[in-house]
Amino acid sequence: MPRVKLFEHSAKRIMCKRLSLPYTGIAITSQTDVDSAVKTLASDKKYVVKVDQGVKKRFKKGLVTLDINHNQVKTALENLKNKNFNYFLIEEFVAHNADAEKYLCLEREREGITASVSTAGGVDIEDNAGAIKKYLLDSAGCEAVAEQIGLDVETIAKLKQIFDDCYFSFLEINPLIVLNNRPYFLDLAAQVDSAGQFFANHAWNETDIVEDNKKTPQENAVAVLKKNSQASFSLSVINPDGAIFLLLSGGGGSLVVADEIYNLGYADKLANYGEYSGNPNEEETYFYTKQVLSLLKNSKSDKKNIIIGGGVANFTDVRITFRGIIRALDEDKDMLNKLGVKIFVRRGGPGQTEGLKMMKKFLEKNNLCGAVHGSELPLQEIVKLATKK
Amino acid sequence: MLDLGYLRKTEHNIIMIGLHPQILQSMLDFDFLSGKTAPQTKAIIGSGRKWEKFFWGKKECLIPVYAKVDLMPAKIKEKIDLFINVSSGRRALASTPETIAALPNLRGGVIFAENLPEKHAIEIWKTLQQVQGKEKNLFIIGPASVGILIPGKLKLGAIGGIEHNQLTAARLFTPGNTAVLCSSGGMTNELINQLANQNIGLSFALAFGGDRFPILTPESAFLTAEQDAETKQIVYFGELGGTDEYRLAELIKEKKITKPIIAYIAGSVASVFAEPPQFGHAKALAQKGEETAAAKKIALRDAGALVGESYEEFINLIKNNIMNDNNQTRKHEDLSNRKHTLFTCAISGEKNGAPTILNEELTKLAEQMSYPEMIISILLGHKPKSKELVDFTELVLKLLTDHGPCVSGAVNTMIAARAGKDLVSSLCSGLLTIGDRFGGAINEAANNWLRGAGEQTDPAVFVENRASAQKHIAGIGHKKYSSHQPDPRVKMILNFSQSLGQKTFTGFALKIEKITLAKKANLILNVDGAVAAVMLDLLKEKEGYDNSALSELVASEFFNALFVLSRSVGFVGHYLDQRRLDEGLFRLPEEEVASV
Repeated sequence: MPRVKLFEHSAKRIMCKRLSLPYTGIAITSQTDVDSAVKTLASDKKYVVKVDQGVKKRFKKGLVTLDINHNQVKTALENLKNKNFNYFLIEEFVAHNADAEKYLCLEREREGITASVSTAGGVDIEDNAGAIKKYLLDSAGCEAVAEQIGLDVETIAKLKQIFDDCYFSFLEINPLIVLNNRPYFLDLAAQVDSAGQFFANHAWNETDIVEDNKKTPQENAVAVLKKNSQASFSLSVINPDGAIFLLLSGGGGSLVVADEIYNLGYADKLANYGEYSGNPNEEETYFYTKQVLSLLKNSKSDKKNIIIGGGVANFTDVRITFRGIIRALDEDKDMLNKLGVKIFVRRGGPGQTEGLKMMKKFLEKNNLCGAVHGSELPLQEIVKLATKK
Repeated sequence: MLDLGYLRKTEHNIIMIGLHPQILQSMLDFDFLSGKTAPQTKAIIGSGRKWEKFFWGKKECLIPVYAKVDLMPAKIKEKIDLFINVSSGRRALASTPETIAALPNLRGGVIFAENLPEKHAIEIWKTLQQVQGKEKNLFIIGPASVGILIPGKLKLGAIGGIEHNQLTAARLFTPGNTAVLCSSGGMTNELINQLANQNIGLSFALAFGGDRFPILTPESAFLTAEQDAETKQIVYFGELGGTDEYRLAELIKEKKITKPIIAYIAGSVASVFAEPPQFGHAKALAQKGEETAAAKKIALRDAGALVGESYEEFINLIKNNIMNDNNQTRKHEDLSNRKHTLFTCAISGEKNGAPTILNEELTKLAEQMSYPEMIISILLGHKPKSKELVDFTELVLKLLTDHGPCVSGAVNTMIAARAGKDLVSSLCSGLLTIGDRFGGAINEAANNWLRGAGEQTDPAVFVENRASAQKHIAGIGHKKYSSHQPDPRVKMILNFSQSLGQKTFTGFALKIEKITLAKKANLILNVDGAVAAVMLDLLKEKEGYDNSALSELVASEFFNALFVLSRSVGFVGHYLDQRRLDEGLFRLPEEEVASV
């Protein structure tokens, strides 16, 4: 049930609709016709242009352009695009005094939905952390927050309700401006619970979620694989020209292997992190392996290794997953041989004996074998074997 | 609260909500290899079949399946003390509180599903807080948990593996004194195996799951281990994300946890990412500095726990600080090469070449049992408890044997016999006539009385509903007999019910008859209706069948079986009679067919 980021535009659309407030922000993506979008802007208004891609501390990173005329919007967008971003937001600029900036942050916690509030909001909120007060949003909490923010209790209660009904996990509004008992969400960051989509009554869908800075086609491919599977997959590129490629299984076991590379001082050689778990089938594991191999092929490192590692699985079948991995390796064996790749395996679980035997036979036959071990070898040892020399 | 003393002492009765065959089989294998005499898993809540086949050792066993917790027989419902919920993340919120409410003696369970919304996990946690201490003392482990394991006693979930050779390799049958607590399921099993390699025995192992809001919190798991007399030390594997370790550090400082802790917090690697990704588990994302692995390691170490800086150091700390309790590999029966059978049979078989019925030699039974007793035993799949049921079976078999040559089935048998057909064909011709209108109404009548009395329908409403739907009531009405000329067979059958107590179904049937007779004299309770009513009452009062067991009998057409059996004698008789008389081929005279 990971938490995922909503686009600021999506979050504001969801909230304003349910609060019966107008929302006129315009989302700009690579598909948007910028000229016709800009044409809709009024000449007598001021605008804000910002990156809408789940980036923290945008203001300090120079990713927000404030208080510009409609004819300056296009240039502002181009400037931001040049900083390698793809998603932007155009909103009307709300003029206000700096001391009117408030901070409101809702979060789902075990005891209930909480609100952290401060009247000293704005970009320097972290310097004023002491001024933040936290309330559990029961009826007394809603009253206290309402009083501090200067909104009526009903609006705060409504905000909490929207947060809850739409399966939000986190909602940070900073700064929040209140004019005539109407809230203005100037900047806003929101996370929803991805497991709640089915229950959130169509409040949001995949198109409202910020892809987690996925840059490579391989990472995108794995994200798609994950979406369409009962099992679980992840892949993140750390260093495209890395030397150690990880093909790991299990949320915990994969962290241990990756940690151990870091602990031994080889973090700079680490190409990727990722894992598969939840008993994926042969086809899925094959596809996943292809993505890792494709990253390996593209790396400019002259010495490359693969670690196929994991703990002793409870229910993920080693035979079936290894069959998929071997199929993928087999298709690329010439490439792997040419690059002098060695493969280091440590894995346990259902079908371990058969799976490891199969893997060993394949790797030895194709001159790819670094080492193949089962649960008799402590998990971290495989990292030592793979990083020797 | 998790009560390990209770979990160790008791033989459990477990239900699996949803079906994960491999996990269930591994739980049965664990029970078998632990030397238990019967599976602790008693039922599956799922859809589809009535039973699922599993192995108990090398033999097969059947685990009953019920569509809902509520539909389990009361006897089983009362026994169940643990559940393992393997339904999907979407279903878990609906199925868990429902289970808690339905099972009076429930003590706890495990939720296996990943991808349970945070909101739902919190709601289940809140439900638990509300019933806790007042009505029930419950624990729920999960979501996204592989479960809890106590060597030789209990395996609730996938924990420890799903193949029998994984269980024996991990030496899960001799208790020791080291507890393994872990957010990650895979790492729980990894540590169990590493401990086994060092001959270190487990007091218990528990995976609380890698979600953000585990229902059984790490804090609660640690306090359980602290209070557990069998646990001498705790091995803990945590991950980046969340702040549970700070609470643990406080508990150590407050001396609420005094047992030695050897710990590792995974996730140092996060620092090489410019913006750390979501790692494998939902919680494994450090959003604030205090949630990083490094910070949490320091907090635990400062509190006095032995914390491995690297994973290797963690494993060495275990090796150097835990005495092995000589948990050697034990010899177990080899369970490999098992194969499921294609058929299952519960009523008869063969032992040493001799035929058996209900596991007893047929020849012995032939001496001890009357024929009606043997028949009803084979029809029900078990020996009857009461003499009344045997006597009633005998009476019904006698009364239904034949009803003269003019009834449909007999006519068809006779026509086939006169056409020169053989015994079996002629008999079948008669049997194939049995249906809703002829002979086959006993089952439908049983359905009427069972549903009417079971739902406590007002008899007048019951009759009115049928009348307005223009349906006749099976079990009521006869072509020949009426209130002026009662059926003598019905009288005999009803006489039988006098030995019974409540007579729920017979009583209901007679109330219906009273209403229908007021409409028309031939709308009397007929043989079918009377047999059905008295048989239902007998099964309920003398044999202990509850309404759900009775509706299963109705669904399988048990009540018609009596007629089919008995009347077969009559049909065979008519066949043989016709052969003796040899009247030649029958042709219906033309004037007997109206042309329209």
